Amino acid sequence: MQTGGDIPEVPGRPDERDRPRVGVDEWVASHDERLADRAGFGKLGRWIDARVPPWARLLIFAAFAATLPLWMSRGDLFVYGIFTLIYILLGLGLNVVVGYAGLLDLGYVALFGFGAYFYALLDSPKYGLHWPSAVSIPIVVASTALLGLILGVPSRRLLGDYLAIVTLFFGQAFVVFVNAANPRNLTGGPNGLADIDPNDLFGYELVTRKQQYWFILGVVLLVLIGLYFLSESRTGRAWRALREDPLAAEAMSMPVNRLKLLAFAFGAAIAGLTGCLFAAVLTAVTSGNFALPILITIYAVVILGGIGSLTGVVIGAIVINVSFQFLAPENSQTNARILFYGAVILLLALGVKPLWRLALVLAGAVVFGLVAHAIASGISESWTNGVVVEGGRLAHVISEWVIIPTGHQRFANAAYLALIVLVLAVTRIRGWLQTALLIPTVYLTAVVWETSFVEEPAVARWILFGALLVFLMTVRPQGLLGTPRVEIV
Amino acid sequence: MRKALLPLLSALVALTALVVAATGTAGSSTTTAAQAPTSADTALVRCGRTRTIGVAAPITGAAASIGSQQGRWARYWVTRYNRAHKKTKFRAVVGDTQLPDTAQAIQVAERLASNSSILGVVGPAGSQEVQVTTATFKSAGVAFVSGSATRTSLTTDGTRRGYFFRTVPNDDQQGPRVANYIRGTLRHSRVAIVDAQNSYSTGLSDTVQRLLRARGVNVQRESVNEADTTDFSSLAARIPANTQSVYIPWQLAPKAQLFGQALRTQGKRAILFGSDGLFDPDSFKIPGSFVSFFPIDLRNGIINAYRKGPGRGKSELFGLPSYQAAAVVGEAIDRACKNGTATRAEVRGQVNKTNIPRRRSLLGFGIRFVQRPAGVLGRGDMGTPANFGIYRISANGTYVRVS
Amino acid sequence: MRCALIAPEVLREFRAVPLSFNAELFIQLLVNGITLGSLYGLIAIGYSMVYGILKLLNFAHGDVYMIGAFAGYAVLSLLGGPLSPNIALAPLILLMFLGAMLVSGLLGVVIERFAYRPLREAPRIAPLISALGVSFFLQNSALLLFGAQFRSYNSFVLGSSNPQFFEPGPLIDPVFTVHNVNIQTVQVLVFVVTIVLMAGLTLFVAKTRVGKAMRATSFDREAAAMMGIDVDRVIASTFFIGSLLAGAAGVMFGLLFSQVFHFMGFLAGLKGFTAAVVGGIGSIPGAMLGGLLVGLAESFAAGYLGGRWSDLTVFAILIVVLLLRPSGLLGTRAIQKV
Repeated sequence: MQTGGDIPEVPGRPDERDRPRVGVDEWVASHDERLADRAGFGKLGRWIDARVPPWARLLIFAAFAATLPLWMSRGDLFVYGIFTLIYILLGLGLNVVVGYAGLLDLGYVALFGFGAYFYALLDSPKYGLHWPSAVSIPIVVASTALLGLILGVPSRRLLGDYLAIVTLFFGQAFVVFVNAANPRNLTGGPNGLADIDPNDLFGYELVTRKQQYWFILGVVLLVLIGLYFLSESRTGRAWRALREDPLAAEAMSMPVNRLKLLAFAFGAAIAGLTGCLFAAVLTAVTSGNFALPILITIYAVVILGGIGSLTGVVIGAIVINVSFQFLAPENSQTNARILFYGAVILLLALGVKPLWRLALVLAGAVVFGLVAHAIASGISESWTNGVVVEGGRLAHVISEWVIIPTGHQRFANAAYLALIVLVLAVTRIRGWLQTALLIPTVYLTAVVWETSFVEEPAVARWILFGALLVFLMTVRPQGLLGTPRVEIV
Repeated sequence: MRKALLPLLSALVALTALVVAATGTAGSSTTTAAQAPTSADTALVRCGRTRTIGVAAPITGAAASIGSQQGRWARYWVTRYNRAHKKTKFRAVVGDTQLPDTAQAIQVAERLASNSSILGVVGPAGSQEVQVTTATFKSAGVAFVSGSATRTSLTTDGTRRGYFFRTVPNDDQQGPRVANYIRGTLRHSRVAIVDAQNSYSTGLSDTVQRLLRARGVNVQRESVNEADTTDFSSLAARIPANTQSVYIPWQLAPKAQLFGQALRTQGKRAILFGSDGLFDPDSFKIPGSFVSFFPIDLRNGIINAYRKGPGRGKSELFGLPSYQAAAVVGEAIDRACKNGTATRAEVRGQVNKTNIPRRRSLLGFGIRFVQRPAGVLGRGDMGTPANFGIYRISANGTYVRVS
Repeated sequence: MRCALIAPEVLREFRAVPLSFNAELFIQLLVNGITLGSLYGLIAIGYSMVYGILKLLNFAHGDVYMIGAFAGYAVLSLLGGPLSPNIALAPLILLMFLGAMLVSGLLGVVIERFAYRPLREAPRIAPLISALGVSFFLQNSALLLFGAQFRSYNSFVLGSSNPQFFEPGPLIDPVFTVHNVNIQTVQVLVFVVTIVLMAGLTLFVAKTRVGKAMRATSFDREAAAMMGIDVDRVIASTFFIGSLLAGAAGVMFGLLFSQVFHFMGFLAGLKGFTAAVVGGIGSIPGAMLGGLLVGLAESFAAGYLGGRWSDLTVFAILIVVLLLRPSGLLGTRAIQKV
């Protein structure tokens, strides 16, 4: 496997060369060997899977997670801590439906919303009900499970993507229902429901972020333990059989329909539970909380982590939420710049071998930049007169190296488009030409950062996040901790 | 291929180190807030040379077209300030609230609130966002000044007193103004109201509908999802031919233009009446329509400079109140920082004491906040003479103030 | 209990419907529905073709359509902008179509090469996330390049004698009138272009070598490869054609509704996906039929029911269609495994 070292740069499979074009049997047969060969995240993942027992994993996670409130600021605890936990819970629920039972449910977020709205109705000034959580949460969870069961009924008739679209309609219909239809002002319309009570632990209200965090962490741990035993149980094994091959499962006289409905109900129950916690933490719910973007995020969590793996969901949620929050525009731009350049150099270090070639690229980029800068300023002063945004100590260096024209919209756009073309080209080319092309690519990356991304950090976040998703999926198609499954056609 | 594992692991370690280094510097400034969230209110901040204001606006997502205007206008105040002042500077920390997902708004609020260098916040944009972020901002003692949250109860219910302010008149100021004009001046008796299925729009629609019906006007209420709809001809087909005017309290001027074109191509002559969200001479130019908006001077030098600079050729006037909100917060911080240090409580007090005279205000009137709640005005609202004017769109698309 | 809550509301809405049959309203809604449906149909075809061959839900397709609309806008701007174009209206529109189709077609090929091909042997659900990544990337690239403001084709005054005074341009001129309802040039244009593209595509798939290869590949990829068909090339050309049609739809959208903006692909993609599934995913005429059904359902629901309940009604209609015909209107029930 001579290309193994280039994993992050190779868009194709590392073993592309060995992949037979016709007939996959040979490929299937050599599956395990190739697995053993694969390095990197996969190796780490399999090592974790094989060597660290589940209870130890849970313990490590719990021990680490429990310390977060001790060293994080309130805001960081909220966005990194509480929201990661919420995504873990949602991912776990979806994992039952998609990962265990293999049903593509695109209406999942509506169940989450139903739970949140129902909790809000039971614990807010809306109808003056302020039920204790010990009463309201079980009621909400039970009714969400029931709703999931009802939603699951068409799954008996519909296969694969047709199920996906019907459930997607359900999800959309939920948003329209609470936002626009709003019969008798039940759901508050676009204003949503506000002043929702915090969760309480048998009368003790959880008002601070730390208390809320620890409470949700406790719930997450309980759900994880419960799901672990469920997945090892008869039902769990039956679900996986159903996912791998519904036809064979049916032939083995498994109650396929009942299993599907059960999966829907289970996933829904967890979604409803999460809804209660979410509504209580947010203190207000509106239809916008349950629209498609959050569904997309949950799917990303489950698939990135590795479908069907509990550890995978936890890791997926951490990767997705932390990377997304890390790119948030309200973080300091000076730090973001250091991180960005650092990440670019890291990526190069991983992709460009041997070391002298890397040094050549970096040195080349520096020289290239100085020359380009000199030429540009020679043509006209205004080409290099732009201001470095939030430069910090680096401002001077950057302004001497990167071309930042004044009023540079058009230049910035051209640089951005050129960068995309160059990056795509670089991933396809090998050898000396690649090294040569990398020099302007590195320089253009800096130009794009300084002229576009710093100006619009909120937009840059989504661009980088999108690129990250594509990159991770092409590097690890089965997710970070998923077992690579071979689909026999 | 064991070799490959080593660089990968070392890369991971290096990245973690980088991450820790990056957050470490950010974290150190936030520790005070972390240890004692309740005392954030009175925690002394050394003002130093560079002061920080937070900006919360929906920069990406479905509402990006209006949110980015707010972000740009707020930052434009910072740019202008920094250009004019040699000794002190401002920097803006912009958070993306991604309206309509209020969960993002609350995350931004938590982040801004626990960044102890931030003494005041501009935004958030939507009334529902103000509602969900109140608890966070209040517990951290931050003053937050919105340039577009108009729901009346935000100030009149008293729960945000001293923390929340806005540089835009509320629904119960704008509503009567519009209703009076439609009924009193235009003397229309058959009116349709189309709400845009969002918090801002339903609030205004309900107010105007109530007032018009009380004065004997025949009101037909319609509803459309302004953001998701591209084909307004079906909505236009529902408006009867004898309807005299259609009130559209929307926020996306290009969509109002589409609706107007759909009405005209179906041969319907009803006059469109837009709210402040539609004041956009670049996009909404159906001749004969009316729009309520601040009594601004369109030839103002700052607006022109914005148009040539960050606006990329557009005035983006929806963001104007956010510029003013940034001015309110920034000037309050400057006053609180006179002795070199400030607390958030001091800044709140100074925001409340804001007194921007008419000549320095882009909105066309001086800005002072109400001290005694009266009628539809609560603490945090701008006092008289803050109210909207009415504009008419002339045959060549220019906006002419008529009231 | 939920039903009891809804019922009176629905009844009240229904009472708002004009009781006497209003031919004018009906025809107006019919025309709206057909034009809208043609657009959805063109988007749906891209979904359907890709799905037919790769069994992949290409969620980035809506954003390819958005990029197409922006490419059309770029051509328009390069040729002098909507208010003072340098060349005559007909070649201008032709160039816009060609530019947009070329750009989106190539974009489709690039997306396939870099985001989907590495995942071809992966579990079926994996490319979904890759597709979402591409979608975020494209959407926000457009936001970065063009800004958040709506960009206007200004088709209302495009080619008008006096655009400063908002005299409707020739695109808005009625071609003919039915029961007082004006059928505009642009509506006819959209419909005709759709028909032409559809016919062209059908012929292409039925007659040409590549078309035959496409059909073979979608029937059985492995077998096709064994027969000497270059599967990679066939898939690339499928993406090219599907995306090209999406680009055409993007320009049509711009001409019909004037406004293009970075977020437009999200919703349109959803509608296209819906149309493809309702019509029977994998079937080209099905995609067109699905598009028309969705367009008509939307138009009539919005016209007769008004805003608040119309979206829910559209969903209800589509769910009923799918429950009655679980594999879509023209879809054949796929054999899952042999």
